[in-house]
Amino acid sequence: MTTGTEKRKEKKVEYWKWPESRSTTPGIDWTKASIITCGIDVGSVSSQAVIMTDGKLFAYSSRRTGYNSPESARNALNWALEGTGMKPEDIHYTVGTGYGRVNVPFAQRAITEIACHARGANYLYGPSVRTILDVGGQDCKVIRCDERGKVETFLMNDKCAAGTGRGMEIIADLLSVPVQDIGRLSFEVDEEPPPVSSTCTIFAKAEATGLLESGWPLNRVLAAYCRAMAHRIGELILRAGVAKDFAMTGGMAKNEGVVKRLAKELNIDILPPSFDTQIAGAVGAALFAKVLAEKEQKK
Amino acid sequence: MLAKLEEIYKNRHQYAKDWKARTGGKVLGYFYPYVPEEIVYAAGVLPVRIMGSHEHDNLSAAYIYPMYCPFCRDTLAEGLRGRYSYLDGLACADTCMHMNQVFDWFVLNCGIPRRGTFIANTPANVAGTHARTYLIKEHLEFKKAIEGWVGRVLSDKDLDRGIEIMNRNRQLMRQVYETRKREKPPITGAEAQLMVLTSQFSDKEEHSALLEDILNKELPGRNRDRKTGVRLMIVGSEDDDTAFLKMAESLGVTFVIDDTCVGSRYFWHEVVPGKDRVAAIANHYLDSTPFPTKDWSERRRFAQVLKLAEEYNVQGVVLAQQKWCDPYELDIPSLAARLKERNIPTLFLEFEPTLPRAPFTTRIEAFVEMLCGDEEGLFAESSTVKSGS
Repeated sequence: MTTGTEKRKEKKVEYWKWPESRSTTPGIDWTKASIITCGIDVGSVSSQAVIMTDGKLFAYSSRRTGYNSPESARNALNWALEGTGMKPEDIHYTVGTGYGRVNVPFAQRAITEIACHARGANYLYGPSVRTILDVGGQDCKVIRCDERGKVETFLMNDKCAAGTGRGMEIIADLLSVPVQDIGRLSFEVDEEPPPVSSTCTIFAKAEATGLLESGWPLNRVLAAYCRAMAHRIGELILRAGVAKDFAMTGGMAKNEGVVKRLAKELNIDILPPSFDTQIAGAVGAALFAKVLAEKEQKK
Repeated sequence: MLAKLEEIYKNRHQYAKDWKARTGGKVLGYFYPYVPEEIVYAAGVLPVRIMGSHEHDNLSAAYIYPMYCPFCRDTLAEGLRGRYSYLDGLACADTCMHMNQVFDWFVLNCGIPRRGTFIANTPANVAGTHARTYLIKEHLEFKKAIEGWVGRVLSDKDLDRGIEIMNRNRQLMRQVYETRKREKPPITGAEAQLMVLTSQFSDKEEHSALLEDILNKELPGRNRDRKTGVRLMIVGSEDDDTAFLKMAESLGVTFVIDDTCVGSRYFWHEVVPGKDRVAAIANHYLDSTPFPTKDWSERRRFAQVLKLAEEYNVQGVVLAQQKWCDPYELDIPSLAARLKERNIPTLFLEFEPTLPRAPFTTRIEAFVEMLCGDEEGLFAESSTVKSGS
């Protein structure tokens, strides 16, 4: 016999949970690498580990961050190494980044996610990138960089989860739509609705509920929310200024409902990614780790 | 000796209570440095600037709107907690409407004797045609009110003494600030702020004696082993958040100069003595670097910020904004643009009463990384090859 509480638990689906991922690049024999480096990005919502062999992407993992930053870092690393035969002690140098960067126990150095995302985007998208938008779990950054991926200036959102991944997760749960499907479904509307008027996550949630109650179809509400988020993010980008090429990193880059609306709102082209955009920060960290490892070896 | 400043800062209320017990004198709380402290000192009264304590506040919202600046709310909360109950009087300089309202609530709810409340009006435009005539008259009224309160007429000799106490303290703080131009400043930004704050909380004659010791005995040779790191300036209003400066200075920076009303703007200019003492005092408050609310039509503050940034060899500027403080925020786009013209990058931070440590840490660290160039060679061989994964 099950109790009411247990029944509710069984039925509970957490729509906000985006898919975790891991990958190993085929054809790389890590045992022949001179320098193996690791970048760990412990963010407020997700944690990534990237392993590089001689500056080439060898393996990565992207997982949800738990309440314990060191544990999240270890879990991400262990998953990235899974099945590769590589052990943590084979790594020459690790750089931690993200909000939990100082809580990565096995990292020799911490570098901010701003610097790491810029460097990572430079590597992943190419040196033509000059503006990077990173929309993470709880913050949103616009970074301007040079051809080396060095930060020239940056702006971050302040004290508010609106326009961040967490806001999208909350809407996913509220509307019972898997978060990774929101972007696609938001385009299945007859005409583009106006954005939800409030850009505060909590108030936007209340407004979305109101719209549903007033008879709006689910997809129309999703479109209105994605549009509001694009508008909110767009305001920050305009403050920083846009220089070509424009690229996105972080989880929100996977939400076409926001990305396409943002491109339209700002009349810009956003470079299409050919990789997991959530790993950009950890890629940058691993690249910095390579330089630092080489310096250590020369000593 | 610098430790003594920290001690005064931490125990400022007790300091004032002890001073009263020791001297038998009156203590006058004041809002904003436009209150002519020279006249207060001339009367033998201790002026103490009213400030908050950066604690969580669940008191002020019952009296003022949440969109009043954090400094206002923090300050009012301190009064509502009863921590200023030792004040004999309170003065306001009509500088900001939010603070004026805090003054009203202080008078009504924080145990301030009604007979000891004063308003030293200050012209809205310190460069205006009638500003001088107006302020001299206001200061005469203020002097008269103080005389009535303490029960004696203030002579020219009294006023000279008040001017001398204030000017001496200003000169010494300028000397301490001068040392911050050095490649290795012997004093950090947090310590410099403690100096200015305690000047506003303590008897300036005692404070000046302490500063003389600090200048002669403590600063020579101090901090030789401390890495200066990136030289920053902080620009803003009542940014009395010493915890922020300490936190930032643990991340590879030194605040070598400021333009805030709890920093250089409080003491930078001296009273130029004149035959008419009250006019000399009034002239000082008109000719000092103005606060944005009064800085019309020429923005004199901008010129001062740019001058200080150059003289102190500043690499970057933190624009510290008290949330909802519109006069300062309105200046920020123009000020940032002028600094950018001189290749001085800026970092905008929005302050609340308590410090958002993690987000601010990230911003400061990223700002430092941005300003540091590539001393470590981290970008020497930036890859131009896509991962291909």
